[in-house]
Amino acid sequence: MTSTSTALETLGPRGARWSQLALGVGVLGAALAAFLGSQFHDGFARFQHAWLLACVFWLTLSLGALFFVVLQHLVRAGWSVVVRRVAELVAANVVVAAVLIAPLVVWAAMGHGSLWSWADPESLRASPLLQGKAAWLDGRFFAIRCVVYFGIWIGLSRWLLRHSVEQDSAPDAKPTLALELRAAPAMVVYALSVNFAAFDLLMSLSPTWYSTIFGVYVFAGSVMSFFAAAVLIVSFLQGRGLLARAVTVEHYHDLGKFLFAFVFFWGYIAFSQFMLIWYADLPEETEWFHVRLAGSWKLVSAVLLFGHFILPFAGLLSRHVKRRVGFLSLWAVWLLVMHAVDLAWIVLPPASHGHGAESHAGGAIGLVDVACLVAVGGVWTFALVRSAANRSLVPVGDPRLPESLAFENL
Amino acid sequence: MGSAHGPISVGSAGTQSRGEVWTRPVLVDGDQSLGAVTRRVCDVVEAPKPPRAWYIAITISASLTLMLFGMVVYLIATGVGVWGNTNPVFWGWDIVNFVFWVGIAHAGTLISAILFLLRQKWRTSVNRAAEAMTLFAVCCAGMYPAIHVGRIWVAYWLFPLPNQMQMWPNFRSPLLWDVFAVSTYATVSLLFWYMGLVPDLATLRDRAVTPLRRRLYGFFALGWRGSARHWQRFERAYLILAALATPLVLSVHSVVSFDFAVSQVPGWHTTIFPPYFVAGAIFSGFAMVVTIMVPARELFGLRDLVTMKHLENMNKVILATGSMVGLAYATEFFIAWYGGNAFERFTFLNRALGPYAWAYWIMIFCNVVAPQFFWSKSIRTNPWLMVGVCILVNVGMWFERFVIVVTSLSRDYLPSAWGYFKPTPIDICTFIGTLGLFFTLFLLFCRYLPMVAIAEVKTVLPDAHAHDEHGHAGGAAHGRSPEVQHV
Repeated sequence: MTSTSTALETLGPRGARWSQLALGVGVLGAALAAFLGSQFHDGFARFQHAWLLACVFWLTLSLGALFFVVLQHLVRAGWSVVVRRVAELVAANVVVAAVLIAPLVVWAAMGHGSLWSWADPESLRASPLLQGKAAWLDGRFFAIRCVVYFGIWIGLSRWLLRHSVEQDSAPDAKPTLALELRAAPAMVVYALSVNFAAFDLLMSLSPTWYSTIFGVYVFAGSVMSFFAAAVLIVSFLQGRGLLARAVTVEHYHDLGKFLFAFVFFWGYIAFSQFMLIWYADLPEETEWFHVRLAGSWKLVSAVLLFGHFILPFAGLLSRHVKRRVGFLSLWAVWLLVMHAVDLAWIVLPPASHGHGAESHAGGAIGLVDVACLVAVGGVWTFALVRSAANRSLVPVGDPRLPESLAFENL
Repeated sequence: MGSAHGPISVGSAGTQSRGEVWTRPVLVDGDQSLGAVTRRVCDVVEAPKPPRAWYIAITISASLTLMLFGMVVYLIATGVGVWGNTNPVFWGWDIVNFVFWVGIAHAGTLISAILFLLRQKWRTSVNRAAEAMTLFAVCCAGMYPAIHVGRIWVAYWLFPLPNQMQMWPNFRSPLLWDVFAVSTYATVSLLFWYMGLVPDLATLRDRAVTPLRRRLYGFFALGWRGSARHWQRFERAYLILAALATPLVLSVHSVVSFDFAVSQVPGWHTTIFPPYFVAGAIFSGFAMVVTIMVPARELFGLRDLVTMKHLENMNKVILATGSMVGLAYATEFFIAWYGGNAFERFTFLNRALGPYAWAYWIMIFCNVVAPQFFWSKSIRTNPWLMVGVCILVNVGMWFERFVIVVTSLSRDYLPSAWGYFKPTPIDICTFIGTLGLFFTLFLLFCRYLPMVAIAEVKTVLPDAHAHDEHGHAGGAAHGRSPEVQHV
């Protein structure tokens, strides 16, 4: 433990280089995305969907991380202390998603229905079904709810990070006790906010459709994507000589187990949602899957079934794979791609809807989506590296650190 | 409040400069020697006579079991009409009780499998009794579909058996999936429970003073000698069974929820049912474990093994799962409105304000409000208060199934077909009888089998970690970091 000095475990000057690089990539991506978006000549409607997809993708990484950090305090986990700082930083990075998603929310609150079609008062009036829920699907109320969701996540993640960082310079057990004591109510707030944010940001893209499990579905994917990202971030840092003594194969093994568990959990939730709707065959529910099982989306659905569930389930089953950082990282990359595909599968089909159902030639997922993912990802990474720059990458003052350092899977 | 959280602060050499270092508290109170654990558990089984309270309890529960047998015989001799199931509510108390008991059965496997995979070592003190409870609850649950079929002599048709009539059950029916799900669950739970028992049965065999006991325990101990090879195989098998049992914890109650959710009945068809049923099942299962472990540990002097810490942990699980159930209720209610389906909206308003409002509000109070008392440490560490809350939870979970099954059926799309379900005395006596059966089996288990997993508890004792400076379970150190390594 004496080997983990704070000086050794900060990014140092390299951080500045990485953050500049990330920002550059982000700006280039944004420029490309804006250009590609303009080529649709649809008042940037398609671009908005791609932008929402990108924001939500990076948002879910932070939300998964936030869940992980709160959970570690809630159950007083010992093994995870060495990787918790990474999670704390990723969680606090939720502010990037908040800033980048804000224009979309403001646009909707101003009554434009190009992304969330219900935001257009005309379309709301045209549908008797939507009139029944006009009280909820109201632009301004929607904006207020978004402020509340992001306020909760930003406040919670900053509070977790602040108390943890406090311990770095002045080792003291008190912050840990405070966090552990308040982790339970934090989890309640987290569950409520994520559940309803999933309904608002994603489910309401198809405003007549509903599924009670939808919040759990988004949650499952979020947590899975965080574990994939955690494996990659930690192995990236280790490749550059950081965290070298703190994180061992045992920690990767546990991250891999959680990754596997949430691949399985996602599959369970996705199956439950699909099977129940397919079986009951009620038109107000099947419309959502009907679109996704037609045209090019049919292929995407099959990709999700195999790529997001069956293949990684088989691939991550073995202890051997979870203890080989190379294999594990490969699966982590694969699953992050699948998570993006999953979100695209949720966000993009409505993009082609109101503009002539058959008109979306050129495939389901386009270059503009990739460009937006890169753009938001660049800014997101920039902010992450910046916030990590002068901080220890391990919570060196945490009273459970020795347990984490000595952790072994038996 | 913080210091009450139990981490024992040990500033070990070399780390003091860094502030406090926490290690895990010891999980067992009192005499922590290996022999003491064996004696404390085996004494219950080997005492010449059980406590007087045991006789009183088993007299009551066995009488109720007899009543159950009487009810079942009467049902079979007369027909399912002796129950209150009638138009429009054809699924009455039998299904309610089936789901209730299957739910209770969930705590055992969660404790033995999932908590094992999550390295929650406190499970060792309660897993044996919880697994036993699982099996007994499955017995009570499994009985209902069998006696509900009416012609019980063809109950085996529930299974897809090849036959000369070329007659098969409907593979698309979730009721058939139930047959597979519940029977698989019962089989794996039994295997898990029995395998864990083998080393302890060998202990009882070796301590036996009468030839009958030696032969009986010896027969079931399968020749266990406690050799290193035995243990190595045992540990491997245990891990594999835990991994296999983990998806079963999710699948059984998910499939039970499919019984309702694949239909188009308003209030039944909603996608959140699978995870929500699983959370509810764990909720009710833990409540039952606490309800019976508190008196059992008092009665048999096991307070040092099943400590307040164990009970408190289980109460926290109850609080967590109870809150999940509350979130599911809220989500269902919200989507019933948001979805804009007039029948869904009606169903939920009907639950809260209709003829069964009394049942609905009992459910809300017991399942959502009552567990919130466990936010208070003084309540969740008070044996009698926690039993009170847990009994409320069990009542509430029974009413949850009642509300789901009965309200939706009693008022469907056609108001002229509405009705009000009333149970008959036979319904009520059958249910009370299953409680008798459950407690009878549990009391017999307490008397004749080791209630606490002796071998597993020993692994969390300080003596099991001779080279561990901190001397505590939870593995603060295995000699990798230099300052705690000393040979």
